[in-house]
Amino acid sequence: MNEDAPRDGDGEGTADGRTDGGASEVGMAASGGTAPEERSVAGRVRGRLAQFGRLDLSVYALYLLAIAFFVFPVLWVASASLRPPGELFSYPFRLLPAEISLSAYRRVFRAGMVTWLFNSTVITIVGVGSVIAVSVPAAYAFSRFEFTGRRGLLGIVLLFQMISPVIIIVPLYTVMSTLGLLRTRVGLILLYVGIQTPFSIWLLKGYFDTIPQELDYAARIDGCNRFQTLRHVLLRPVAPGIAVVAIFNTVLTWSEFVLAFTVLGSESRLHTISIGVYKFQGQYSNDWRAIAAASVVGMLPLVIVFLGLQRYFVKGLIKGSLKGQ
Amino acid sequence: MGEAKRKLLDHPLPWLAPTLLLLAVFQLYPMLEAILMSFTNETLVRTGTQFVGPEQYIRLATDPEFWDMLRVTAIFAFSSVVLHVLLGLILALAIDYGVRRGLPGHLTTRVSVLLAWIVPGIIIGLVWKVMLVENQFGAVNHFLGLLNIGPVPFRSDPTLALVSTIIAGTWRGTAFTMIMIYGGLQRVPQRLYEAARVDGAGRWARFRHVTLPQLKPVLFVTTVLVTIYSLNTFDLIFALTGGGPGRATQVLALFMYQEAFQDYALGRGAAIAVVMLVANLLLTGVYLYAFDVGDEI
Repeated sequence: MNEDAPRDGDGEGTADGRTDGGASEVGMAASGGTAPEERSVAGRVRGRLAQFGRLDLSVYALYLLAIAFFVFPVLWVASASLRPPGELFSYPFRLLPAEISLSAYRRVFRAGMVTWLFNSTVITIVGVGSVIAVSVPAAYAFSRFEFTGRRGLLGIVLLFQMISPVIIIVPLYTVMSTLGLLRTRVGLILLYVGIQTPFSIWLLKGYFDTIPQELDYAARIDGCNRFQTLRHVLLRPVAPGIAVVAIFNTVLTWSEFVLAFTVLGSESRLHTISIGVYKFQGQYSNDWRAIAAASVVGMLPLVIVFLGLQRYFVKGLIKGSLKGQ
Repeated sequence: MGEAKRKLLDHPLPWLAPTLLLLAVFQLYPMLEAILMSFTNETLVRTGTQFVGPEQYIRLATDPEFWDMLRVTAIFAFSSVVLHVLLGLILALAIDYGVRRGLPGHLTTRVSVLLAWIVPGIIIGLVWKVMLVENQFGAVNHFLGLLNIGPVPFRSDPTLALVSTIIAGTWRGTAFTMIMIYGGLQRVPQRLYEAARVDGAGRWARFRHVTLPQLKPVLFVTTVLVTIYSLNTFDLIFALTGGGPGRATQVLALFMYQEAFQDYALGRGAAIAVVMLVANLLLTGVYLYAFDVGDEI
């Protein structure tokens, strides 16, 4: 174990691979500890411990601080949500509940959480599916066609990606009103597709660009038209890109608040999880347990999806934001 | 028939039509409409909208509250950006170091940071509301109490409220800068480090003279993107402080929303939106210039 220990800084080729190969370790991250990983490499770690310099120790201290800062709020909210009435504000201060109670969750679910979860799920699935249906052909066109105005059009798409929908919320309200789409989930879905398509096109175009055109030519010689080429030949190599787009837009759609809040209006049966949770906390502004429980229900589906798929997130983040590199 | 279909598919338009339609309706038109609207006195409650020229802008420019809002937005954005980039850089370096050296725990750290990033904005506001409860039973106040500090009025003191929103914003967004900078670190050619080592450069010298200069483009682009996101922050502040106490945390996006949908002054809201739009466009211009995206298109 001594040969590989001093290899400081020359692991360029392996760095990425090791990170991306880390999917199986995600489970360990979910359980909040490093124990299983440490056990599997226990021998190496013990051997290295002797060589740990001050830098390694400070890096470790930093890891612990970072994990505490980023995970503690989530765990604290979960812990607060599981307490019986009164325990949160009684001596002594406890990090973990003395006894588990689901009464806060019962209150949240009685307030309509099932409806909000249902709405968010439907809007997310239909919305993300539509984004993919619209942006795959567009990305294909930007990657495979040469036409005048292509560069300009791509520039505009990029521009739209950069501009936050918050800015155009005022005129969007009148547009939705004119089209009769206010207070409808269909309207919100269409709006999401319009907002999320630019980023998805950019990301997918990057994936299409990596596929050699020879594949297209071969398919054409075999008699495929462009649609058949896309469907039978290109879709498979682009699939990882589509997965990244799907994950990204799932997070965006599930989390989105201001557009939904503006478009869906005040009827509780139309509300998404973000609106429901926000309204709920307005009603029970001093019931911290209930607010905590609502927060947990609102983020849990995403946290589960994310812990399973986080390495694709990283890929998508880098690919989607660093155009041109 | 088959031939006509093939011809149709050989033209880019059918492939792009749905996208173009959606972008026109939900992005381009609203953007132009915002500009038009900002020159009117349109409201949500009254008909008979009139063209009023630059009146909304003049009213904004002479409204001390607007300048307060700009100040709050600038403080929020600037502090957020500094914290995002610093924290992101430190974490990216630490994780890169851990990966190269095979330290266990780097993946847990990365996942923890990213976890905060996927929590919905509204819920981040609530999570921090619960963390920052203003008596000795709030989690943060409890720990401060152990140091004989507090209880601290995190959300009812104007200055501290702004600090709290900045912390919550940084909690969410650091994942983005961390990943961007980590990606940048992977693209630094290793031979530069080897050359520096041959020249006898120590760890700090290598960081100062190899890593930092090589990271400059990524750092720049990341800074621009985070500035844009910070300037447009809405949901997190909406849930955490609602803009209060008073208007202490009322950033431009919140101000615009309240003018338009609580005071029903669509025209004035649109004028604020145009101010934000201009800021966004300028920053996007900087981003495009830095990136030279033209090459890639």
